[in-house]
Amino acid sequence: MTLELYSPMEDYTPHQTRERAMTKKPAPRRAKGFSPSKKSISAAKRDAAWLHSIANEQDARALSELFEVYGPKLKGWLMARGVGNGTAEDIVQDVMIKVWTRAELFDPEKASFATWVYRLTRNKWIDHKRKHGRMDVRDPELMKVIADDEVPSAEQEFMTQQSSDVLREHIARLTDAQQMAIRMAFIEFKTHKEISAETGLPLGTVKTRIRSAINALKSSMARQQEKLL
Amino acid sequence: MTRALSAVRSNFDFLTESQSDAVTDYAAGNLSPAKHALMACVVELNPLIGQEVAFETHVAASLMTEIRPVPLSPMLIGDTLETLCYSKTSKLPANDGVHSDIEMRLAPKPLRDLMDGSGLRDIKWKSLIPGVAVHDVLGDRKTRTGDRMYLLRAKGGMQLPEHSHKGQEWTLTLKGSYLAGAKSYSRGDLHIVDESTEHAPYVEEGEDCICLIVTQGQLHMKSWLPRLLQQVVGI
Repeated sequence: MTLELYSPMEDYTPHQTRERAMTKKPAPRRAKGFSPSKKSISAAKRDAAWLHSIANEQDARALSELFEVYGPKLKGWLMARGVGNGTAEDIVQDVMIKVWTRAELFDPEKASFATWVYRLTRNKWIDHKRKHGRMDVRDPELMKVIADDEVPSAEQEFMTQQSSDVLREHIARLTDAQQMAIRMAFIEFKTHKEISAETGLPLGTVKTRIRSAINALKSSMARQQEKLL
Repeated sequence: MTRALSAVRSNFDFLTESQSDAVTDYAAGNLSPAKHALMACVVELNPLIGQEVAFETHVAASLMTEIRPVPLSPMLIGDTLETLCYSKTSKLPANDGVHSDIEMRLAPKPLRDLMDGSGLRDIKWKSLIPGVAVHDVLGDRKTRTGDRMYLLRAKGGMQLPEHSHKGQEWTLTLKGSYLAGAKSYSRGDLHIVDESTEHAPYVEEGEDCICLIVTQGQLHMKSWLPRLLQQVVGI
């Protein structure tokens, strides 16, 4: 794995992070098992409160705080994909303005804010690729579209309500090979062909491994659901 | 939640391998812009793929925390806040997701947006062979390489010209249905054909069939007449 991994410490408000940095208290141990940790519940609550203030009170301070938490992550994601510093910030800025204008469309029942803002960023980036070469376009304005959110109707009612924490715990329980395949698929930012060339595995094998790792993840989450019933 | 989960479990094997790959690449942001746009349309019309996309987008978003954050330039947040618009009324445009017009509804929203909101109503179709017409969505027919995205309309009962392609061919059916191999494809179905495959879909009797198609590079028509005409219509 060439990817430099970052130890996940997100989901804290800047205030909490600062406080912990000062007092050097160790991070609270995550409870075993799969119930969403307090941390992720409070992150979801915090996000929902920000979005509510933006949508209903046009509270610029809420956007500013949200920007402070999510901006560097989104910029990191873009730059890991090879986007330059300036362009990455332009895209993040566009996304934050979209969060401002579309906050009332955010529905915490359907997806976490992290997923929502990830989708906006991913789509904005693809939109950017389209506008800048790679594909000739009659009128760049025609292409603004896909940058918008996709219609979420079909995406409702799914286990996306599971917190990111829970999901990552499920990933951590997969075999090393499966975990690697999941990371290859979602954060290595290489084409399957490139992965195949680097690992020496046939292209078909790379794809099969990714598919079966995703299925293993889904089964793991489905089993948990069964246990809770 | 329970219902959703059991739906997912029972649907495990319903996506083909290439559909699963498409979902993963879409969620991760690995698709070309044209394929990304086509998948956005599929998500709107196909609940099964839509669920899968939602799940894998959630996975991708959750893994974002493993990527090192990059600090923002000191002025970025302040500059952004200064550009914000404040208005008393709702900032959203009137609901443009719902259309009573059937021809408008036929086109998924991402496609309507690509086509300047006009949907499938005022398309200038170009005839390829009798009974088959195409419309180049992106207007980049002069591009030699890269993806092409076009709408294809074929009369019921038509046999489409046999063809193959350099890369994959992705087809989303919007209206009507066609047979390819032993399978029938209708509205919302995503059909991915590999480059090696030569195929000649058969449009089922009845209404016209309209599909949104993305191909990499030009189609290779087997016979000379469509080969000649495709130069004219640009697919």
